[in-house]
Amino acid sequence: MGKFIVIGERISVTAPTMRKAFAERDPEPIIQRCEQQLKAGAHYIDVNIGPAESDGEEVMQWAVKLLQERFDNVPLALDTSNMKAIEAGIQVYNRSKGKPIVNSADAGSRFNRIELAANNDAIVIALCSADGIASDNDERMAHCQRMLEEGLMHGMEAEDLWFDPLFLVVKGMQDKQMEVLEAIKMFSDMGLNSTGGLSNNSNGMPKHIRPIFDSCMLAMAMMQGLTSAIVNPNDQRLMETVKTCDIIKNNNLYADSYLEI
Amino acid sequence: MALKGLDIFKLTPKKNCKECGCPTCMAFAMKVAAGALPIEKCPHMSQDALDSLSEATAPLMKTIEVGAGDAALKLGGETVLFRHEKTLVNRTRFAVSIASDDADIDARLEAAKLVDYERIGEREFVEMLFLDYAGNGADAYVALVNKAKDLGRVLVLNCADADVAKAALDACKALKPILNGANKDNLDAMNAVATAAGVTLGVSGADISELYDTIKAAEGKGNKNLVLDATGADAKKTFENAVLIRRSNLKDGDRTLGYPTLVNLDKIAPGDLHMQTALASAFVLRYAAIVVMSEMRYAEALALYGLRQNIFTDPQKPMKVEPGIYALNGADENSVCSLTVDFALTYFLVSGEYERSKCPVNLLITDASGMSVLTAWAAGKFSAGTIKKFFDEADIENKIKSRTLIIPGKVAVMKGEIEAKLPGWNVVVGPMEAVQLVKFIKDFTA
Amino acid sequence: MPFTPKKQAFNARINAVTLGTGDKSVTIGGENVLPFYSFDAPIPNKPLIAAEISDKLLAGVNAPALLAFYAGCETMADMARKAETMPGVSAICLHFETADPNAENTSIEECVAKAKEVADAVEMPLIIMGCKNVEKDGKLFEAISSALEGKNILVLSAREENYKSVGASAGMAYNQKVGAESAVDINLAKQLNVLLSQLGVPAASVCMNVGSAAAGYGFEYLSSTLDRVKAASLAQSDAQLQMPIVTPVSPETWVVKEATAPEDENPGWGDVEERAIEMEVCTASACLIGGSNMVIMKHPASIATISQFIDSLM
Repeated sequence: MGKFIVIGERISVTAPTMRKAFAERDPEPIIQRCEQQLKAGAHYIDVNIGPAESDGEEVMQWAVKLLQERFDNVPLALDTSNMKAIEAGIQVYNRSKGKPIVNSADAGSRFNRIELAANNDAIVIALCSADGIASDNDERMAHCQRMLEEGLMHGMEAEDLWFDPLFLVVKGMQDKQMEVLEAIKMFSDMGLNSTGGLSNNSNGMPKHIRPIFDSCMLAMAMMQGLTSAIVNPNDQRLMETVKTCDIIKNNNLYADSYLEI
Repeated sequence: MALKGLDIFKLTPKKNCKECGCPTCMAFAMKVAAGALPIEKCPHMSQDALDSLSEATAPLMKTIEVGAGDAALKLGGETVLFRHEKTLVNRTRFAVSIASDDADIDARLEAAKLVDYERIGEREFVEMLFLDYAGNGADAYVALVNKAKDLGRVLVLNCADADVAKAALDACKALKPILNGANKDNLDAMNAVATAAGVTLGVSGADISELYDTIKAAEGKGNKNLVLDATGADAKKTFENAVLIRRSNLKDGDRTLGYPTLVNLDKIAPGDLHMQTALASAFVLRYAAIVVMSEMRYAEALALYGLRQNIFTDPQKPMKVEPGIYALNGADENSVCSLTVDFALTYFLVSGEYERSKCPVNLLITDASGMSVLTAWAAGKFSAGTIKKFFDEADIENKIKSRTLIIPGKVAVMKGEIEAKLPGWNVVVGPMEAVQLVKFIKDFTA
Repeated sequence: MPFTPKKQAFNARINAVTLGTGDKSVTIGGENVLPFYSFDAPIPNKPLIAAEISDKLLAGVNAPALLAFYAGCETMADMARKAETMPGVSAICLHFETADPNAENTSIEECVAKAKEVADAVEMPLIIMGCKNVEKDGKLFEAISSALEGKNILVLSAREENYKSVGASAGMAYNQKVGAESAVDINLAKQLNVLLSQLGVPAASVCMNVGSAAAGYGFEYLSSTLDRVKAASLAQSDAQLQMPIVTPVSPETWVVKEATAPEDENPGWGDVEERAIEMEVCTASACLIGGSNMVIMKHPASIATISQFIDSLM
């Protein structure tokens, strides 16, 4: 078993400073956030440029080169609904530290992202929903099967499809949380990799509570076999949880100073 | 080759009926591929599909049984590449090579009997005789086989001439020897001779690719009772063969290579016994089921068999020595007693140090479930109570007149309790570490 | 279809560490495959052998060929000069056994003087092995590291109890190489490397001694520790276990019964020196196959064999 993969989520146009930096092609704020996340232990960095319908290709290439040149070819997740922007990003992507991640495909309108990933030897995050949240695990697993088949038919290795059960917000969908965790177990039993925007579970909660919820959810999800998550690596409690779970799962060898490395 | 989930999925009905307990046929297929579910769990599989999948569920490496009666041995059957992953199951066996044109066959057979001793409940000896056909005619070879038969060891007939092999097998097939010598050119004849005699066939190839094809050919004739001769042109090639055979089998799931391997050190390091020892040590660790040496003296055996015993110990089960009185350096009933646990490593360290001291000591080994001193003490397996029980069961009071008992320094706290349970005994606290024993016992008995 | 075995080269590598200076300096480590798996990827530096020389010289040695080899040697420097000529030797290991405060308690000054004399006499890299008393060893390593500054020596070893002083002096102040010692405890092996790096000792200055044992004497613990270190460092890319491994073999093998018991006590066992050689050969080979990048040995015959063994597998 490999170590849990932390995908840093903080370079995203949902944050006003990032939105501004992308719009103005201002490298500094983006570099700063990347550095903070890498220092905290992120393995992959998500680059969410938003829909970027007009200039997506150029923005993505600019961002990929910016970060990879500055941070020793840091592996990236290319996050946009603009397919051409993803392809453009992959064109300039250096894979010496890891394949690019296409974020994301689903079983609905974004189904063709799987083929895109296959054609570009990339990893793809496969969201187990169509054009709405799956109503139950039967539906979730049917989506999973369909996307897995699609990937395998296009010559992908199963390990390059990272299935996302879609973490659901506790405030509003509290009764669905165990179902999401059960879906992760089903992925794991099939030997599949998994990931997801974990902090979605604590959306709308007070700021001081969110790290507690995120950490607990992460520990429970790792117990179920979650192999990666898209999270804020600068949440210390969360990162301590990741490192500790990795020890308990024997993904990493224990040493007294394990939290410091 | 192990089947991938997708291959299995293609054979499923793709109905997602959930009767197998899985949410989808794809999920079921992935679980079967991982070995987590038997294919029979699906009630809708066709017989064709079942047949093509049945092999995928068998163990990756075969266990081959050779020899007859008391000499019977199991080879192979391993499931992991490294002992810490689970355990290694069938230890490497040693053979000594004797050729049919050796001038001193009788002396060499006699020499092969020399090493024979017990180490922690295991008989250590040359378990196999590798009888090398030197091309000097069937009569000479059969004569060698007939002489070797009397030693009660498993025979390996190293002979690529099918007619000579047949003559030799006629003389010894009841002993279930191995017939080593099949290759791509003589496979048909050799395979016929081996299967007719019901013995294991040893297969070789100029390289691993040729070996692979020859195994396939033998399996194609229905013979799956094989060992693989991994011996190459030199040490490097032989090591590569041994590793690739085992790794391709257990890690990459290639069943064609799922047989025990043999390496002939007499061939790759002839006349250099030290080098053969170095290589034998390497092949005990890296995947030979049979190691052939040109000879085996105590000098080689003491080291190699000790290593082998260590490596093939189950990590979950500590090596234990028999509880009892071990009289060291000519100790008698009046010599002091020293007590420790039955953990084999502790026993070896303590007895080794005492032996170096030359002082007579009765080493008393008590049953502590194979734990080390402190672990056993903490677990209640090495306490005044268990020691008292051991003294009673082993009848120490009557067998030994000395009333001095040295206990390990690490359990000094037990001194009072032991004295209470063993009235009349003078309990002395020994040193903390075994390395301090020589000085301690010399001072003590001076 | 011809059979093509899968390769297993890893993305991670063992650190390459250089010992000594000048023409006779050596580099160990640097590989990204399991020991001797050169069929997976080329191995840049072959494992090496250091010759052990005790400060007891040849006292108590009962091996005629070994005595003959060092005949006429009266000091550690004499022996070191002679050891340099031994085929297969790449480094000299000075073992200051008598520094032990519970034994002869040889003074630090005397040990330093001997080490300097050796350093002046030979060109091969030096390895300094202590007396196992952590306090004395800490002082000894500091003094010798200072006296031999610029020689790029390896001190064996920094342990849990004295890593701070050994790391700060040998590893940092005097820029020597530090061996981190743990006794078949892989978690401690990793922790010591973390602690040394937190102290500021560069990773390229650290080697590991993860334990030692003679064949038959709990060698399974060492063997599995070596296997697990390689699995963590290469397969799991654990940077805190990618230090090359240096394993003392002779101090373990030359004291066991098989290598010491006189022939007359065990009829049939044969010549005691021959048994000691085979015990040393068997153990060294098993260490190397497990992943030792350097083994410390004693007898010219065993060293010659293991040297040929290494070459034959490279």
